[in-house]
This record gives sequence, structure tokens and C-alpha cells, in this order.
Amino acid sequence: MSSSSPAIETVGVRRVFESRKGFLFREVTRTEALRGVDLVVERGSIFGLLGPNGAGKTTFTKILSTLLSPSGGKALVLGHDVTTETAWLRPRIGLVLGGERGLYNRISGRENLRYFADLYGVPAAEREKRIDEVLARVDLVWAADRRVEEYSRGMKQKLHLARGILHRPEILFLDEPTIGLDPKSARETRKLVRSLVTDGVTIFLTTHYMFEAEELCPQIAVLSKGRIVARDTVDGLRKLVGGDRTLEAEAYGFEDKELDIVRHLPGVSKVVSEEYGPSIRLTMRVRTRETTPEDVSRALPGHPELSVRERRTSLEDVYLDLVEEEAR
Amino acid sequence: MALVQAQYSGRRGVSASLRLSVLQFMADPQWLVPSMIAPVIFGLVSFELFAGYGGSYYLIYAILGAGMMSMWGQTLYGSGWATGQDRVFGTLEPTIQSPTPYLYVVLGRVLWNVVSGLIGGLIVYIVVVAAARQLPAVTDPVGFAVLFVFVMLTLAAVGVVFAAFYVYTRYAGFIQNIGEFAFYVGTGCMFPVVILPFLAWPASLFFPPTWALDALRYLAIPGYQGFRWGFWWDLVGAVGTTAVYLGIAGSIFHRVERHVLEMGNLSDY
Repeated sequence: MSSSSPAIETVGVRRVFESRKGFLFREVTRTEALRGVDLVVERGSIFGLLGPNGAGKTTFTKILSTLLSPSGGKALVLGHDVTTETAWLRPRIGLVLGGERGLYNRISGRENLRYFADLYGVPAAEREKRIDEVLARVDLVWAADRRVEEYSRGMKQKLHLARGILHRPEILFLDEPTIGLDPKSARETRKLVRSLVTDGVTIFLTTHYMFEAEELCPQIAVLSKGRIVARDTVDGLRKLVGGDRTLEAEAYGFEDKELDIVRHLPGVSKVVSEEYGPSIRLTMRVRTRETTPEDVSRALPGHPELSVRERRTSLEDVYLDLVEEEAR
Repeated sequence: MALVQAQYSGRRGVSASLRLSVLQFMADPQWLVPSMIAPVIFGLVSFELFAGYGGSYYLIYAILGAGMMSMWGQTLYGSGWATGQDRVFGTLEPTIQSPTPYLYVVLGRVLWNVVSGLIGGLIVYIVVVAAARQLPAVTDPVGFAVLFVFVMLTLAAVGVVFAAFYVYTRYAGFIQNIGEFAFYVGTGCMFPVVILPFLAWPASLFFPPTWALDALRYLAIPGYQGFRWGFWWDLVGAVGTTAVYLGIAGSIFHRVERHVLEMGNLSDY
């Protein structure tokens, strides 16, 4: 397969989990975690996958990293089938699932890396040098010879990351790589991720942190209930949910007819009303520059306490809009 | 960061797994109890029990029987148990995801379990002999030593197949606990299989250690009457069934891995 094939290409990927309960009378429960995921990710960039808990992000990541077979559809990584060409793919894939588990706690971080370096086929002559190199990249040299059980959660996360890049993969799957890290470590991790892309690695990142996705990922997909509900650049997603400007109006209450008035202001694509402490907040997505905070104030007379603010639509707004829409 | 030619191999996988097993053993002194201390205690108790009956071969019963029970268990189940631990630690996923087939990881563990089992066996031997103040009467000491190592390998072959169940399901430990004692009785670890009802023999002969342990007794005890076909056919049976088990292990791991990827239960524990 040529190196021009996409880093990831999936067509209709489905995954059904079956869980069984009972001993004599077994009760089988089926859960459809992925309901037909179509996705193409080009090589050499960072691709972000967002989604609420249970959306299927980790399931999808595990399928792409050959740890789980899809129940249906087709998934290619680097142009190779994740189900039938695992021997070709595994040396080229890095996977960071993170969390407290996944490491041998009774031995040192360095010994963990030695073990996995051998399993992942890091050339024997380079092994020690490579281990030192990745430990330095994740700033863990100082604790390399300590037992992992003495590590903090953040240190474990860094060790996961070090293991993921130890064999210099062509594509790296990162499942919430900064979870549990302090702000400084998280920032360093993001810096490391960016540097990996400079080295030519394709990164597939799942995260709950919107700012992280916004900062790192030129392309983002939102997964909800096992389906990709949107896929674009951050700006493209802003447009998709109704505009890159957001106006927020707060008062002690609004009447339905006032909401209708606001909805019909020029460029306003979406209005959501929600309780906000003792007040009601109207959130408006605005496509154009025609409607300003002053226009909204004028449209809502009779509210002396009214305050209207303007801000840029954040990725979090986009995400919530998309996920809530899907939930409806 | 271009991919450098990956150099994974079965040999590296086995040696990495062996090294990890040693490190984990050293890091966790509690393993000294089941693998070294308990066998010595069982051996001494067994020696006292057999000593009352007299006879010149009781020592070998003491050493091979209860004294080495923990050692048999470790050789047989150690690698499977370690796979179960991989589930608990969450290390089964990254290990399976690596390019090295998991079978080699198991083989490395088996190797360590055989070595540590032999060390444990040697300690039991020394302590029981010291307590008895006499060497055990063994008809053919050299043959006995060689065959003893082979017995360990037959157990290890079964252990590799058992380890596949630990990859297959998190309930493997439960199944093991049910079958463990029956396995010891049925394969002659505790006493010769020939004293079991004839109908139990076919099931026993399905396991390589049954053949190997019977052959071992021929070398240890003069006039021993084991299976009626004698020492050499015992040996042929042991080699044959071991080969079958290793063959099964070679193919079963590939199938088990495919199955667990379909089930998606690698992180369950």
C-alpha cells in the first residue's frame, strides 16, 4: 500500500458489545457502541475526536489500534486492514490509553520501558539510548529508576506516553493524554504532541478538554451515540452550529414573545434559554455582524437588570450544541 | 520520527518476559512463601508422616509428593496466573497490542516458572535430606535428575495451554481452582495413578505429566509397578503428549487472540 493512503479510513464501522448475566439462565445484553462510523484522516497532522462519555471514542480508538475487532464495516490504518493485517500494523502504531492501569507497578519506569521496547521490536543496540530519549521527552529521567507504584497519576500518564512513542510509531493514538496532569505537565505534553507531528507522526487524539482540541487539532470530529455528528475545522464547526459569535443576555426572566423577537434578529441562528443562578440566560449564535449587543438590548426593553455580552463561539459551545442536538 | 526497522522476535519476547518475571519475583518477596517456604514446610511434614511407616524409599515420596506440590502448581499455573495478573494490571492490552505474539510472553513466564520450580525443588530436596540425615534411595540418580527436569517441562506444556484460558476469559482462575486438585490426583503428582480406578486412566493419560511422573517413579523406586506397558512406553507417551500440547498451544493462542479481539474483554478483570 502506498504512503499516499490516508492515515485512517473507516467505512461504516460498527461495534456491538454483548454482556452476559446469570449462571444457569444467561441474560445477554447488547450495546451498540458504534453505529457506522465513516471517517478519513490524512497523514501528518493531529486529528481530534470529541464526544461525551460513552460516545464510543475509546472503542473506536481500540478498533483502530488493532485491540478490538469491528462488528461490521471496514477500518484501514496506513492503508492496511486493522483486522487482517495486524502483524504489519502493530509495529507502526503507538497507543496511549493512559490511566492508573496498564503498567507494571512493582518495577521501575525504566524496566517497564525495557520490557515494552523488546516486545515492540526497538532495535536492541538502540534500546537504552531510546529509553533515555523518551524519558527526557516526557521529563521523567529523574524518576526513571523508581518503582511505578511510587509515581503520581501524572507521572504514570507520562510513562504511558513514553511507552507509546518508544518504538517511533508512524501513527499515535492518544486517548485523553493529559487527563490527571497538572497544568504545567499538560502544557508540556501538548508541546510534545506538537513536536511529534513535526517529526512526521500522525496523531489521533481523543479528549474531553475543548481548549486542548482547539489548540492542537486542525481537524475535529464529534462522536455522539456511536456516530460522527460533525467533522470539520474548529471554524467550520462554529459555522455549522450557527455562527462564530455568541451573544449572551441575562435577566430575571423573558417572555416567549421576547424570545421570538430575539430569534428574528438578523443573523441570529439559534437561541437557547437556560437558568443561570437566579437569572435566565439567553445564548444566541450569530452568523453575521448585523446584530450587536445593543440591538439585543433594544429588542428586550423593560429589563433594567439586563446585561448583554458578546464573545467568540468556543469549541465547547459547538460541542454542546452538537451533542445536545444529537440527544434530541 | 521515521520508523526504524522493528526487530521484534520470539526470542526477544521470551527473554523480555523471562526478565520481567524475575524482576517481579524479586520485587515481591511474598512469592517466597508459595514457591520456596511452603514446599519446604510441606516436605518436612510429609517426611514426618512417611518416616513413621519406615521403608527405604519414603524420602522420595516425601520430596516428590506433598513437598513439591507447590512447585508443581507454580510450574503448571504460574504463567496462567501471571496472565490473569496482566488483566488486573491492565497490561494485557498493551502486551497484546505489541507486535510480539503473546505466546512468546507466556513462554518466557513458563521458563521462569520451570527454573524457579527447580530451585524450589532443590531447596526441598536439601532440607528434607538434611532433616532425614540420609540421601533418598533412588535407583538411577542421573536418569532421575534428567527425567525430573522433563517432568517440569511436561507440566509447563500443559501450563502454556492453560495460560490461553487466562487470555480467553477472566474466569480462568475460577476454573483452575476447581480443577487444580483433581489435576494433581489425576496426573500422579500426589501418588501413582495406577492406584486410581481403571476407568480414570484414560482421562489421566490425556496429560503429559501422568506419563512422565510414572516414568520417574520407575527410575526412583525398585520394583515399581506402574502402568503395565513399562518405563520406555511411559517415556514415549510423555514425549508424544507433550508435543501434542505444544502444538495445541501454538495454534490456540492465535485463535484465542482473535476471539478476545472480537469479544473486547481484554481489559476485564
